[in-house]
Amino acid sequence: MKPYKDIAHLFDDLGIRHGASLSFHHHLRNGDAVQNLVLDEVKRRNLKALDLYPSAVFPVHTTLLSLLKAGHIKRLTTNYLNGPVADYFATHGTPDMLRMQSHGGRARAIIEGDNAIDVAFIAAPAVDREGNATGLEGPAACGSLGYAMEDVKHASTVVLITDTLVDRLDGAQIIGADVDHVLLVNSIGDATGILSGTLSLTRDPIGVKIARTAMRLLDALDVVNDGFSFQSGAGGISLRVVDMLHEKMKRDHIRASFFSGGITAYHVTMLESGLVETLYDVQCFDLEAVASLKRNANHIAISADRYANPRNDARVIATLDCVILGATEIDTDFNVNVTTDSHNTIIGGSGGHSDTAEDAGLSIIVTPLIKGRIPVIKDRVTTITTPGSTIDVLITERGVAVNPARSDIQTRLDKAGFSTTSITDLMRTAHALCGVPATTARQVNPVGFVESRHGKRLDTLYTKE
Amino acid sequence: MARSYLFIPGDVPRMLQNMDVFEADAVIVDFEDAIATHTKDEARDLTRAFITKHHENLPDIYVRVNAVEHDDFMRDIDALFGLDITGIVLPKADTHALKRYRETFEKKGEHPLHLIALIETPRACLDMLAIADYPLVRALMLGGEDLTSALATARTNARTEIATARGLMVLAAAAAGIDSIDTPYPVVDHPEGLQADIAQSVAFGFSAKACIHPNHVDAVNRAFTPSQAAVDEARRILAMHEKTGSTRFSLDGNMIDKPIIERAKNVIKQAGIHGRDLP
Repeated sequence: MKPYKDIAHLFDDLGIRHGASLSFHHHLRNGDAVQNLVLDEVKRRNLKALDLYPSAVFPVHTTLLSLLKAGHIKRLTTNYLNGPVADYFATHGTPDMLRMQSHGGRARAIIEGDNAIDVAFIAAPAVDREGNATGLEGPAACGSLGYAMEDVKHASTVVLITDTLVDRLDGAQIIGADVDHVLLVNSIGDATGILSGTLSLTRDPIGVKIARTAMRLLDALDVVNDGFSFQSGAGGISLRVVDMLHEKMKRDHIRASFFSGGITAYHVTMLESGLVETLYDVQCFDLEAVASLKRNANHIAISADRYANPRNDARVIATLDCVILGATEIDTDFNVNVTTDSHNTIIGGSGGHSDTAEDAGLSIIVTPLIKGRIPVIKDRVTTITTPGSTIDVLITERGVAVNPARSDIQTRLDKAGFSTTSITDLMRTAHALCGVPATTARQVNPVGFVESRHGKRLDTLYTKE
Repeated sequence: MARSYLFIPGDVPRMLQNMDVFEADAVIVDFEDAIATHTKDEARDLTRAFITKHHENLPDIYVRVNAVEHDDFMRDIDALFGLDITGIVLPKADTHALKRYRETFEKKGEHPLHLIALIETPRACLDMLAIADYPLVRALMLGGEDLTSALATARTNARTEIATARGLMVLAAAAAGIDSIDTPYPVVDHPEGLQADIAQSVAFGFSAKACIHPNHVDAVNRAFTPSQAAVDEARRILAMHEKTGSTRFSLDGNMIDKPIIERAKNVIKQAGIHGRDLP
């Protein structure tokens, strides 16, 4: 496969026109240079009415912002966005302009044709002469390419963009047979930019207390046994739970069957200590995870489809025992918001939140009861990211509330002498300490919507206050 | 019978608001070393406002005021009048400071609050029994950092530099029938060092330990709560004592006498207070 060296030439040959649907993955996170590179060419050609499918958008994606401002974007479908692009939607978006999916939902939508992609532009850290590609080699090695795999399989045209061409790759993640073109560029980005999440365990005493309570709850429910499976987000409290889990498993000689999701150095250490049999890695969250994926056969890269597609019976999280997740807001029906703040500012999105909450045997939200003097528990969240019917337990520094729908969990905790309270009482406690928030965001001008992993409209996004 | 005394700065609203969350048996709101001169008024106002408004389900509250010779001492005392707190932690405590403290209240016609005497000078170390016997004093607390500075030596991991003071404090407090509170472990994030330091506190015979960070509280509470094995052993001793009606008997080949029986009673009492499972 002869690589293109000029993106203009590639665009000419592909015939990309107004209204094209283009996709990107976000494995390089805030170090990604590929989306800007492609959209710069879109901008030069003055293409309009674009339908974009980046799996996530970060502050680095500045060309997208300028195209939005110029009115050239018809719709953006993504799983997560923050920074100036998110802010633009929250201030200037028009109805249905932004569609937010989950990681599993995006995979499902691509496979089923809901996300119809004309050209998938895949940042590929290393590519060989036959178009095979891997995320494990090259200066921008980012590890797993899990979120790109459905784009590669189902887009009408697949373009690998790489800064590293090699003669031959063994164990490629992307097979050349699925690839139409390769574009060689100077740089696809900076792999150190993948370290753009929280990625360090909290030392904040409130967070530590919440993590300790989570461990006590796992003990009371007898979750941590040989063969159990576990996933957590990359927030500071979640990682503190992972650290405490590590200590417990080492002390009690317990071996987990698998950990899944975004993988960090904390997970790698547990794999290498023999405490976890397998890491199923849809995304590397740091460079230690990238190195481990390269050297350890039990650290396995998986696609978003294999990870969380609700239509895939063999998805990894279908057998997940426990997931620990965060929340920006949670309401008295246990609905969770990780998409906006209380003023409609877009600050993130589901990622795998709603996927894992629905599939895991036990879904736990860990969050301080009060953040910046604002109670986290509301009568109604500003935006539903994850339906309350899929959330089992809320853990705060001032108490634990079990979703009344999970009377089985409540009964087991009662039997174990583990004290719980109601989510309404927790909200009252917060109000007693910092008062009832005076105003909530007005929901007047819609700018988009949150879609469930099954493809149903879950909630509407509005302009921010 | 508090196990842990957590220092929290009086000028940080989030710390005051969460004083009941950290699971310390007692908190010491600091007006002294942790507070810059320009925020001391803020610390007094915030603390007074918080304790006045939120007085339910709080742990025992002490306030470390500035030393009696300090200009802020009287301002601190004035800010605390009428507040529902357990007592005062008096820095640089010695017999002279205790006298000044008592006289301050007497001049105002107020009953003085109980004291934890913070021992942090070589002279105070040598006067510990007299300080412990002072009527208002309910506990002695070791101020290891100031004492180390006063001795013109360096802090060591083995804490050899404060070993004599630790031993004297435990003896003086026991002789006076009051509690002894060991100095906090000064490194925030060094779990192994913390565990080793707590083990020393327990081995010396302190009744409690101060903490400079909330993340230290759990380890301190666990160390100062009798283990299940200790509770089981105490129960066996007391059961045998009850069965034989004797204060001198053999159990598993060990001679049991009155001090051991009293210690067993203490273990059961401590375990009961701090929630260790009892039949």
